[in-house]
Amino acid sequence: MLAERARRGDERAFEELVRMYQGIAFRTAYLLTGSAEDAEDAAQTGFVKAWRALPRFRPGLPFRPWLLRIVANEAHNRRRSAGRAYALRVRATVTEPSGDAAPSPEGAALGREQRESLVAAVQRLDERDRDVLTCRYLLELSEEETATVLDLRRGTVKSRTARALARLRMEVEL
Amino acid sequence: MSELERALVLLARDLDVPEAPDLAPVVLAQLEPRKPHRRERGRWIVAVAVVVLAALAATLAMPDARAALLRLLSIGGERIELVDELPEVPVQDDLEFALGERVTLEEARGRSTFALRELEEPPDRVYLGGRGMVWFLYGTPERPRLLVAQSFLLPPTEELLVKKLVSPVTRVERVDVDGSPGIFLSGKAHFVLLLDRYGEIVEESARLARDVLIWESGGVGYRLEGDLELEEALRLARSLRKIGIR
Repeated sequence: MLAERARRGDERAFEELVRMYQGIAFRTAYLLTGSAEDAEDAAQTGFVKAWRALPRFRPGLPFRPWLLRIVANEAHNRRRSAGRAYALRVRATVTEPSGDAAPSPEGAALGREQRESLVAAVQRLDERDRDVLTCRYLLELSEEETATVLDLRRGTVKSRTARALARLRMEVEL
Repeated sequence: MSELERALVLLARDLDVPEAPDLAPVVLAQLEPRKPHRRERGRWIVAVAVVVLAALAATLAMPDARAALLRLLSIGGERIELVDELPEVPVQDDLEFALGERVTLEEARGRSTFALRELEEPPDRVYLGGRGMVWFLYGTPERPRLLVAQSFLLPPTEELLVKKLVSPVTRVERVDVDGSPGIFLSGKAHFVLLLDRYGEIVEESARLARDVLIWESGGVGYRLEGDLELEEALRLARSLRKIGIR
């Protein structure tokens, strides 16, 4: 197992882990900070700190949430020190859903107006509510993974998610 | 999954997230060779610490060198470890941030899961920190006079440690607070670190503490921090009273 080899000091195994998880690490940091520059810094520093912390990594535990928690900590530190407004944008090239197409869970798409109002509502949430929704839905992490990444109890993830969804529901029509 | 939850998942696919850069070359260039195995390092640190302490005890006549020689003490859910060198961690200087959510004293009383103890003088600010920790701040976050912290002791299954790392020149004294065991740390500043179940430092909680008295009583861990002499710290600790039984 790569994480076990890396834990024993195998740099090549760690390089494979970096290549395997750099996408999700960067995306996590970006969605938590809203800044590409901060996200790159946070992901990079997160990997370096993960290498240092690996001797304390418990064999048998999943590597991804453990790594993402370190990256998320870095992202939080940068977000607080930067003090800039959190801002996410919808891609300019998103295809609008066709009015004729039958909706299906896989093919469903949001209209531009819905997307914009949802993004704006997510951005208005307080940091803790936004973080838990980011992990659960924008990163599609499980409750267990979200608990690890945000260093919360699983029950707290559950209750905070419900609360954040309720707040969001008051602001958007869906 | 509700319609709103599905909408959030769909939204994620439409977000303008830049492509991840190739981090591997920069990360690999920063990797330090792995240090010796923890057990070997531990022996080395113990040896150094004992030598340093023995030297200090002889030359500086430390008042409680024997207590300081106990490298690892556990009290009030906190683990106190003597190390020869403090780790390099970003220190959180912003107390307002480090202590948690600011609340009123009434809210703290209502939300705490145990009966809070208070001094006669009401605190200037009250915060609810992680793991049910309640903080009373006297003074301002920029110029704190005194910090009083209290929390339920962490159950063993929590696997989360509040760890204080003290350098060999920090004085460690065992004390008694109305029959409860305690420890007084003074002298050189020490780190307070929160470690999670993976043994990883939860960095935002790393902060430099001053003289501190730690004790436990009735399943609750207490902490008094400030520029305090031991006698003053003990006097304050003994004057803490549960609400309604002053």
